[in-house]
Parts: sequence; C-alpha cells; structure tokens
Amino acid sequence: MAQNTGTAGAPPDLSVQLGPLRLKNPVMAASGTFGYGEEYADFVDVERLGAIVVKGVSLHPRPGNPPPRLVETPAGMINAIGLENVGLESFLDTKLPYLRARGATVVVNIFGNILEEYGELAARLDGVAGVAALEINISCPNVKQGGMVFGTDPVMAAKVVRAVRFATSLPLITKLTPNVTHIGDIAKAAVDAGTDMISCINTVAAMAVDVFTRRPKLANVIGGLSGPAVKPIALRCVYEAVKAVTCPVIGLGGIACAEDALEFLLLGARAVQVGTANFVNPRATLDVLEGMERFLRVEKLQSIEAFIGSLDTECVFPFAERTCDAGDAA
Amino acid sequence: MTSMPKFTEDARVIDQRAVAFETHLLRLRSPRIAGCARAGQFAMLQVRDGPDPLLRRPFSFHRIHPDDETIEILYRVVGRGTWLLSHCAPGTRLNLLGPLGNGFDPPPEASGPAVLIAGGIGIAPLFELIVRLGRAFEGGPKGSLRLFYGARTAAELLPPGFFEGLGATIHWSTDDGSFGYEGRVTELFQDTMEQEGLRPGAVYSCGPLAMQVHVARWALACGAPAQLSLESLMACGVGACLGCALPAPGADDPASDHYVHVCKDGPIFTAGSIQWHKIQVRRAHPPIFLYS
Repeated sequence: MAQNTGTAGAPPDLSVQLGPLRLKNPVMAASGTFGYGEEYADFVDVERLGAIVVKGVSLHPRPGNPPPRLVETPAGMINAIGLENVGLESFLDTKLPYLRARGATVVVNIFGNILEEYGELAARLDGVAGVAALEINISCPNVKQGGMVFGTDPVMAAKVVRAVRFATSLPLITKLTPNVTHIGDIAKAAVDAGTDMISCINTVAAMAVDVFTRRPKLANVIGGLSGPAVKPIALRCVYEAVKAVTCPVIGLGGIACAEDALEFLLLGARAVQVGTANFVNPRATLDVLEGMERFLRVEKLQSIEAFIGSLDTECVFPFAERTCDAGDAA
Repeated sequence: MTSMPKFTEDARVIDQRAVAFETHLLRLRSPRIAGCARAGQFAMLQVRDGPDPLLRRPFSFHRIHPDDETIEILYRVVGRGTWLLSHCAPGTRLNLLGPLGNGFDPPPEASGPAVLIAGGIGIAPLFELIVRLGRAFEGGPKGSLRLFYGARTAAELLPPGFFEGLGATIHWSTDDGSFGYEGRVTELFQDTMEQEGLRPGAVYSCGPLAMQVHVARWALACGAPAQLSLESLMACGVGACLGCALPAPGADDPASDHYVHVCKDGPIFTAGSIQWHKIQVRRAHPPIFLYS
C-alpha cells in the first residue's frame, strides 16, 4: 500500500543479535517445513532469510513412519512424519553444498534416539563450513525414542544439552515442546546446561479419528498439531519462556503473516520461525519479512530491536485504539 | 526428479459445470501453468484464502490448453475442500501451485497397443493422455489405443460424448451393470487381454487404490510396462513436508523400510516401485452430507 509505506530514506534495520549468532533479519524457516532449501528454490532466495533450519538430521538415515502421515484439522494439520531424513553423511554430501553455494545461514536441527547420538552429531558438525548453529530437537512427538521424551523432563533435557555443549562450540538453540506444564522450567534447565538460545514451540501432541473406518487418521495414532490453530498456545509458551530465562528466545507456532510474527517479537522473542505456512504459501517467509519491514516504516521505527519486547502488559480499559489496520502493514 | 520451474499463479474460474454424479469440470485461466504443464502432472489448488480449509488440494490436469492459456480440472466432491470448490462461480480467483510431479512417459516406439485403465474419477489425468496418444496413433490400426473405463454405477461415468473423435476404443464397465460390462474394470480388462491375446506396449492406469493394486500385480506378473498415477494426502506438493509417503522397496535391501513420496517421486509410478502389500486399502469416502 503506497500511502502506508511511511517515511522514505534508509531502510529499517532488521538485523538481530541472538547470543553469539547475528542474523540479517529475524525471519527463519522452521525445521521440517522447508526441506533443505532447494525444494523452494523457485520461490525463495534462501540467502535472504535470517536463517534456514533444515529438516531434522540424525546420525543414520531414518525411513520415517508408515502412511497416512498427515491429516488436516480446523486451521491446522497433524503430522506424524517420524523424522524421515537422509542422515548426517548424506546431508553433508548432498544437501549442505547447495545451501553453502547460495550463501544461506544454515541452522542444523539435530535429533538422536539416545543421548550419545546427540553428542556425536554435534561433534561431527562442529567446525563444518557453512553451519552457523545447531538446533537441538528434544521435542518431536512422533518418535518412540528420544525427541519429546527428553524435552518433557528438565533433568533429561539438561543432559542432552550438556552432551551437545561439550561436543561443539557452535551456537546452540534448544527447541522445546509445548506438551509440558511449565515450559519455563525446561527452558531454565536448558540454559543452565549451556544452550545459547531457546526456540519454542514444536508441535502440540494431537489426534484425529474417522467415525466411518473407526480408525485413527494417522498410522502413528498420535501426531503433532501445527498451523494457525496453535498460535495462541505458542504465544503463551514464548511469553513464559521469555520471563523464565535471559537468553534469546525464538518464537514459532502458527505464524502465517507479518502480524503473526510481530506478535511473537512484541512478547520478547528475538527471532521467529515460519513453518506450516510454507506449505500453503511457498513465499510465506519472504512475505513475513517484507511485511515486517513495511510495519517498521509505518510505525516509524528505525530498527526491529526497538520493537522487540515492547509489550505493555498493563491492561487498561478502554483498550487503546489501533491507529492503523495492521492488515495494511502486514 | 524434474528440474522444471514451478509457479504460483492466481487463476480465474472461467467455467464450472457438473458432468456426472458429484463430478465437476472446472476450467481455469492459468497462463504460466498451462504453458508448461504435461499430462500426468498436477497442481496444488488453494480452495480459498484463510485458514479454513488450511491446506491446498492436489489435482491432476484433466486437459491442458497452452493455446488459450487454460487448464481443466475434473474432480469428485469427496470432502469439504472439493465441496467448497464446487461452489466457485466464474470469475473466482483460485491460487495454483504447479506444475508438480513427473508426468506420464510416452509409450516406446513401435510397441504394442497403448492401454489405459480408469476407475471412477481416475479418468481425470488419463484424459489429456488419451487426447495426445489419439493424435500420435492417428491412422494406425483400429484398437491400438484402448480405454477401459469403469465406475460403480452409470451416473458416475463421464458421458460417452466426451470421448467422441479421440480415436480410442472404449470398453465400459460398471460394478452394478447399469452401463457396459457388469463387474470390475480390471476383470473386463484382463478378460479382453486374454481373449484377444493382446500384449500392450504401454499400460496407464488411475483409479481407486484397490484397482491400482490389481493392475500393478497383473503388470508385474506378465511383465507389462505400467505407469500408475497415484494419489495421497499432501501438505506441500514440493517434497518438503514428506507427508505423502508410500512404502517402496529399499535400494539395498528390498525388505527394509523405505518410502517414496507421491509429490516428488510421482505421482506416476511403475508397478515395481511400490510395496503394494504394505498398503492398506481403506473404505470408501463418507457420505457428502457431512460437508454441506
């Protein structure tokens, strides 16, 4: 909207500092929703993103769960992919070179069945050119071993983070599950064990059944809910995580447009990840990024840092009127 | 895997009409996709904006008209998404992502007759192929292009007028005998093959999973080169979500767990590339009143 682009002049500064990691902007592609970048090459120049978090990588290739793996639900979808991936070796040989050649900022999401595998993955990724950070997946609901089993217990979560911290000097993000009573406790445990950042949320454990076949709609029975349906849950989790820890928090869960992303930043998340929205709109990450920039111009803010964490928690009545329709900006 | 460019494009509904029981033919102006799509490929269509329904739906191309920049989609109303789609009036904007998937390979030169097997709405992707093969086989001996086309009942079949002038010999069947041969289309197909002693140069099929399993087993047993168009629930259509997995023989150990993905490795598969015994054939779709 031309009339809403605000002041001309220098573009607003979108760069953010996440502990040891500096990103050119706060918009990342979430793990498992953007493949290894190449899948969306026709739509997104992956180097424009703050970072791409690649599909979860395990030490050895994993076939994933049997089909059906997906079901659509109101404003969301449940998946039980089961961390199908090519394995570390093949990732390094066939997937990473493309991302390196593009100049993308690459965050490798790592997953292990047992504690030792997390450490070994981290050790083997340590010092690999083109890897900017690791995201520790202790929150996948779709695997029998590892995953959420680690992420729902502060003691286990700390053990995994410590094992990874010991094995690498790369910046570490720990990805948390919302399927706990106090996400702040898990976040604290991860920080004490040495993580540099927290990202949340992974999918919400969920289920769908068919009254005609009288069967679960997923072969795995239980899966993970994502999409706009989980955004309010994600906002609450990020809010609690931000209050619990001082390290940077990356917000994700149901982000489909710039306004969604800005909501997370307002709570104090220092970056966001766009996930399920990529499936519907292959350009979702860039749409969020461009909408964010327009928002800063409209609000006459020089940098995104000036907006992050600016939530006014004092609830007043009558509620403050919005000066513009965020839809115009976002 | 093809490296053909993919597009997102705001298509316009030009025309939509009911052509058989709960079956609609949708014509869309979609210049970029119509310009490069091939028979057997598909597009992900966003039924409407917003989170309800959230995901795009995959549809194969029923016809591709690069000259007037349109495509046609033939679909059955099977759920809320297709029910909403069936109410889109001319002029409606629908976002398409495509063309996706591998598409059909043409039959090898100077081989036997080309045989197509369609079950119900499975006629959708085969139609563009029939038109193209009809041109390729023009002037050839009668019966060198055959379509075996079956449905549960006559009301579910496309009217015979659709197939006039295509140069294909059509064998009709219905499960209830209301039109053509009474019984499964696969029975009609196998009986005809045996009676006439035909050895097809290429077999193309699309239809319900139970039918596809049957065709695949037949093709494997007699060594016929078959190309099967398969479907799946899908979220992304481009190989990112890994949701549309089908069991396949492992590269090293055929018995090991391995999956192919309908969107990226297909939707056209050879009979040997799927582990059919691992696929459960599920019951028919729920009655439509649930969605309206």
